[in-house]
Amino acid sequence: MKRWIGVGLALLLGGAVAAAIVLGNRGAKSGSGAQTTLTTLHGVIGSEKLPLFKDPTVAKLFAQHGLKVEVDTAGSRQIATTVNLKDYDFAFPSSTPAAQKIKGARPGTVYSPFYSPMAVATFQPIVELLAKAGLVADSGQGYQVLDMRKYLDLVAKGTRWDALPGNTTYPARKRILLTTTDIRTSNSAAMYLAMTSYVANGDDVVTSKDQASKVADALAPLFLDQGYSESSSEGPFEDYLALGMGKSPMIVAYEAQYVSHLIAQDGAIRPDMRLIYPQPTVLSKHTLIAFTPKANDVGRLLTSDPELVKLEARYGFRTADPKAFAAAAGKNAPAAVIDVVEPPAYDHLETLIDLVQRRYLSAPRS
Amino acid sequence: MRLRGAGAARRAGLAGLAGLLLLSSLVACSSSGGSGDDEPDSPDTLRVLAGSEVKDLVPLLEESGVKVKLSYTGTLDGAEQVAGGAVKGKYDAIWFSSNRYLSLIDGASAQLSTQTKIMASPVVLGLRASKASELGWNTKQVTWADITAAAAAKKFTFGMTNPASSNSGFSALVGVAAALSNTGDALDRQQIAAVEPKLKEFFSAQTLTAGSSGWLADAYPTANGVDGLINYESVLLAMNASGKLKEPLTIIYPSDGVVTADYPLTLLSSAATPKRALYAKLAAWLRTPATQQKIMTTTNRRPIIPDVRPDQRFGTRTLLELPFPNRRSAADELISAYLNEVRRPSRTVFVLDTSGSMEGERLDGLKRALTALTGGDTSASGTFARFRNRETVTLLPFNNAPQQSQTFTLPEGDSSPVLTQIRQYSDRLFASGGTAIFDSLRAAYEQTERTLKPDEFTSIVLMSDGENTDGSSYDDFASYYQTTPRNIRTFVVLFGDSNSEEMSKVATLTGGAAFDARSGSLASAFKEIRGYQ
Repeated sequence: MKRWIGVGLALLLGGAVAAAIVLGNRGAKSGSGAQTTLTTLHGVIGSEKLPLFKDPTVAKLFAQHGLKVEVDTAGSRQIATTVNLKDYDFAFPSSTPAAQKIKGARPGTVYSPFYSPMAVATFQPIVELLAKAGLVADSGQGYQVLDMRKYLDLVAKGTRWDALPGNTTYPARKRILLTTTDIRTSNSAAMYLAMTSYVANGDDVVTSKDQASKVADALAPLFLDQGYSESSSEGPFEDYLALGMGKSPMIVAYEAQYVSHLIAQDGAIRPDMRLIYPQPTVLSKHTLIAFTPKANDVGRLLTSDPELVKLEARYGFRTADPKAFAAAAGKNAPAAVIDVVEPPAYDHLETLIDLVQRRYLSAPRS
Repeated sequence: MRLRGAGAARRAGLAGLAGLLLLSSLVACSSSGGSGDDEPDSPDTLRVLAGSEVKDLVPLLEESGVKVKLSYTGTLDGAEQVAGGAVKGKYDAIWFSSNRYLSLIDGASAQLSTQTKIMASPVVLGLRASKASELGWNTKQVTWADITAAAAAKKFTFGMTNPASSNSGFSALVGVAAALSNTGDALDRQQIAAVEPKLKEFFSAQTLTAGSSGWLADAYPTANGVDGLINYESVLLAMNASGKLKEPLTIIYPSDGVVTADYPLTLLSSAATPKRALYAKLAAWLRTPATQQKIMTTTNRRPIIPDVRPDQRFGTRTLLELPFPNRRSAADELISAYLNEVRRPSRTVFVLDTSGSMEGERLDGLKRALTALTGGDTSASGTFARFRNRETVTLLPFNNAPQQSQTFTLPEGDSSPVLTQIRQYSDRLFASGGTAIFDSLRAAYEQTERTLKPDEFTSIVLMSDGENTDGSSYDDFASYYQTTPRNIRTFVVLFGDSNSEEMSKVATLTGGAAFDARSGSLASAFKEIRGYQ
């Protein structure tokens, strides 16, 4: 079942690229004039895309097409459950399963402008410790990988940082656990569950309820033992950038969150910070659902407007056209992340999440 | 002890205006859902329900270009209001030092929209320099276990806020419990039970309590026998810079970890569209490098954006973050264990005006307030405000003169029979006669002096709805107070037509605080005072 996927796959994501370009250009005619009244559209998006939407150039490009786009952020999975979708013209969660969940709550037209592999943002001393313990290795493709099988074994044993042999750099009496967002609200945690379920299921995608309930026991501690976790992905990543190794030695993040800062050369990524990739990892396909006719413009423009696509790439997202990302990222990201597995189908991933979620409610372990 | 500088009691919403930092927080504010409810909403004003911790940002907010109206409430109380949807339409955003407890409440996430972290401050221990060096903690790495051992050996004492009222106390409790339980992952109920003996040792050194972090900082310089405080790093740094301390506080960052406040400015999902734009503007402005720099230099908070690096005041050590519970039941269990089993017991005296003017609605309000403290308020914050196990409660009603007082002692285990007795007693209160405030307060002091136990938190509550009409005067009381051997604090409740100036003087004289129930309810004033007892 494991599939080796290069950037080429990304072409599939674009879907209706050709048609969209035509439509996008048509919209441009009325744009740019300062006199034009803009149509305001409201979106609810995963927080990791907020920097993109807040970019003044992005706003200008939308304005050229007569649009003003205002967004609120929410955990991608929260969008389907606790957000009042009637208030919005579109939703823009971070993955296909999350989008499917939202479509169930309010139907709409789907666009997949870009994707981002799940990665682990960490620090050089942590990488060294994990390499010494045999968890981190070089992929031979220009990036380092975290062996998820060995990681799950370590978590199952409840290993603490100070129990790693020869650890003088990070002797914390804290469990070795990747920091994630809340599995009940956020997509990045669900993507992490997707990749770990593959490993726990004997290197195979979970395809049945039976398999889901078998792996849930092993996977629930990955989330529950962290204690409190935040509802949306930007929170832990901000802590990573601002508060450093003490708060979160290693966090699950979208590659784009990290790479965008490298591209921007804004100094946020300090010399001791590292981005490594889980082996295997999953791709999170950011998916827009247009609820109102006008919101289709947003979906189309994000997918096919060449200037917008360039900007998306500058925010670290891998666009349907791999050249745009390669041109923006240069040496700041590998051309391709190769050990990629498919997430379980929507209903099986939901089952898995539900099984973990129930453990939050059940009586504490005794 | 005495505190200088307390002004007249004022309502929460107005308190933000002047004398912000330390002084104004001497006067505790009656909150009960904020003060702005009676004013009409204006589309260009962002109404924010906040923790008092962010008061010190008010001057800075004036530069933001966004009109912001802050109303203050306690952390847990506020969390319950928000999660239950009670603030819908009254506020557009919330700003507490942390959303963690709030997020654990069922239904809370539906009330919240965009969250923007503004700054960070860990909750740590500040110890006067000579004590810190006596213990060797100024040079070597210290763990919470080391601190607990020193506490058990009575080598130092400290003050901390009530975890049910204030986030700094709650964070400290969570952190200490997580560190002492030594499991490396988040606490659950079973681990809390296991760590209780250790927590008792730790908190045996707590000799000062408070309902808010600001009041705690103000009370410290003149508090007897308190060697330090557990508080936000930002508060401790500000105290060191204030010039009011006899000796500076050495800040101790336990090597096994801390719990850090991140002050998320959070849009409510019920906010109207124009308010959303105000929120976005304010949040973006607060995170500009220039503002972040100002936040760091003027409020001693750590910047939250990577463009602004923390300066040397914060030191360079790596602060580990301790795990925070992910179930509300665990958080509540921990607070409940702290209040009812772990901390030193309280001895509280309520001096209650039952003069003729209390007849009717006022007396009913008093009865409701007392009933709430006997378990009648079943909200979580209400439950944490009730009379605690091991507490000694004295009710002293007065009119022309102090009346016969009645003392109730709650047992360690099931306290419901005693709570019922207190409720029955308060139900029998009746109104008649005059108002001998100072004779009655003096009687309370005399009685308390006779029965006082040194290892208890002792305090007096004085509630009156009018002028002093009988017996001795305020000045008589003030001279008497100078002769008392111990300095017991009196927390005054302004009610009805009470003389706010004279009542506030009592609070200032005794190092207490004034609470205003003239436009709110007695129940919410009493509930807030419980944080100080």
